[in-house]
Amino acid sequence: MKKNIKILLIVGMMIAIFNGFTYFDSFMYHDPIVKVETVRNLQKSTSTDEYKNTDTQITQLVTGKLINTDKRGKRVKFKNTYYRSQLIDTKYSMGQQVILTKNYSPKNVKRDTSIVFTLGLVVFLLYCMKFDRRKLFISILINVVIYYGYISVIIRTHNSVLLPLAVITALLISATALLVILGPTYPALMAYSSTVLATTTALLLSTFVLSLSGYSGIHLELNDFELQPYLSVFLSQVIFSVLGVILDETMDISSSLIEMKKELSDVAENTLFKSGINIGRELIGPLINILLFIVIAENLNVVLLYLSNGNSIGYTMNMTLSLGIAQLLISAIGIVLTVPITSFIASRVITRRMK
Amino acid sequence: MLYLFLTFVVLLLMVTGTRGLTLLFGLGINIVSVIALLILIADGFNVLITTGIIAMVILVVAIYMNVDNANTANTAFKTSLIIMLVILLITIPLEFWASAQGMGIENQDELEGFSLAAGLSYPELAISIIVINSLGVISETSVAITSGLNEIVENKPTLTPQEIFDDGFSVGNKILNTQTNTLLFNFFATTFPLFFVIHSLGYKFSEILNDKLVVSEVLTTLICTIGVILTVPITSYLVYRKANKKI
Repeated sequence: MKKNIKILLIVGMMIAIFNGFTYFDSFMYHDPIVKVETVRNLQKSTSTDEYKNTDTQITQLVTGKLINTDKRGKRVKFKNTYYRSQLIDTKYSMGQQVILTKNYSPKNVKRDTSIVFTLGLVVFLLYCMKFDRRKLFISILINVVIYYGYISVIIRTHNSVLLPLAVITALLISATALLVILGPTYPALMAYSSTVLATTTALLLSTFVLSLSGYSGIHLELNDFELQPYLSVFLSQVIFSVLGVILDETMDISSSLIEMKKELSDVAENTLFKSGINIGRELIGPLINILLFIVIAENLNVVLLYLSNGNSIGYTMNMTLSLGIAQLLISAIGIVLTVPITSFIASRVITRRMK
Repeated sequence: MLYLFLTFVVLLLMVTGTRGLTLLFGLGINIVSVIALLILIADGFNVLITTGIIAMVILVVAIYMNVDNANTANTAFKTSLIIMLVILLITIPLEFWASAQGMGIENQDELEGFSLAAGLSYPELAISIIVINSLGVISETSVAITSGLNEIVENKPTLTPQEIFDDGFSVGNKILNTQTNTLLFNFFATTFPLFFVIHSLGYKFSEILNDKLVVSEVLTTLICTIGVILTVPITSYLVYRKANKKI
């Protein structure tokens, strides 16, 4: 117990030091940074637009001290105008650190401390409890490195080989995740092959079905930032988002089947397959839910922008959520297909290999 | 799109049989709740209160419709409610501090022609986004841990509180791993177009680290992870209390 407290103290200290560093790291920035001291509202005007949205536009006079560059300590003033709804503009408040341009107009809020703080909170909580942290950290670290490599290659190749690269990345990150959690074992290989097979089948089937209707009703060109080539961007996003869920599912099914084989060593292949389906049946609902809420949350900003601009709910859904819903449906097909595919592969491998 | 939906329904019914109908019904209720949420917020209701109410409805549907064992469902529901509250408590000050609400300069093309005076509070919406994002993950995690723990406790009713917590963590370890994977891979899915655009805008490292959209995505992922982590001790505690009462 004592040892635990010691480790906790060390980790807590390190996180605090790191946080303190990002709070005072302004000397590493080239742009001037100001710490806001006083804020005064100069002007307020409330207006109602053509869609009957009432919003208030506020101009604030912000004063603060520069905390970096050679003009350090100098007091600066700037004006900032924002809408109370703060869709793309920002209200500045006392104590905030704000990054300025060279001629002292506001550019951005300094947000690095908040990220590091939250990351620190996650790490600290992990150390407070008896989790197997090493495995978790290793798998996340390797996956982030792979992702970083993926990003730098797509940037260098200007998206020309986006889809194949996404597939390779997906193969790598799922392999890493499985190897770290299960180790280089038969169950890992089983889960891997089922994941790959289920995802591929779902994607091929879905693109086939979609091409039957000529992609009608799906606005591929309306993806985030209108990145090209549309179809590849869309499919890559589908692959990444469904991968974690399918991995979860295959691991659950195959590990339960292995347990079953251990308890009943003469269990028949068919019985295993059927109980695999039974276990998987329970998993489908919650897993689809996970992706449903992630997809909705991602698009909430745009959806409300459309709605508040007087668009009907039907038009809004069509313009903002059709891609998300298509992504969700493909993922759902993958999640459903995983159940028989995993049960089939697992029941075969287990009866043949585990005697 | 319709074909895609039909394919999904046919496959679902083939694999799950009649159970698939319950599943579709649950999904339908969730989608209706989400649309209600959108309309209420757009009509000017308070964002946080509306989100809280709808989130509760969603949790009830997600947990009670998917779990047959009433005991497990009750504990899981309680856990999810507590976690939702904790997430709210963490997110409100963090979002205020980071002011990572709404959209960024990267969205400029999309925003053309829109009236930006929307009249609703995007800082509050940012909090609501994180809560909604976590709903699926939280309910799944709490159900998985509760059912795992309940099974252990039922087989060995003489467990000490320490043992229940230890078992909670051994069940929780695997779930934590898979849920972080889900969250991380979804982070990859949403951010790669963003990073591509950021590169073409020629951002420096410090600008990426302070960018509104990047920060909001990272915060979402991290806060959801906090929710998953906290589910384990809270579930263990609730299961332990229940087991104690029976004796």
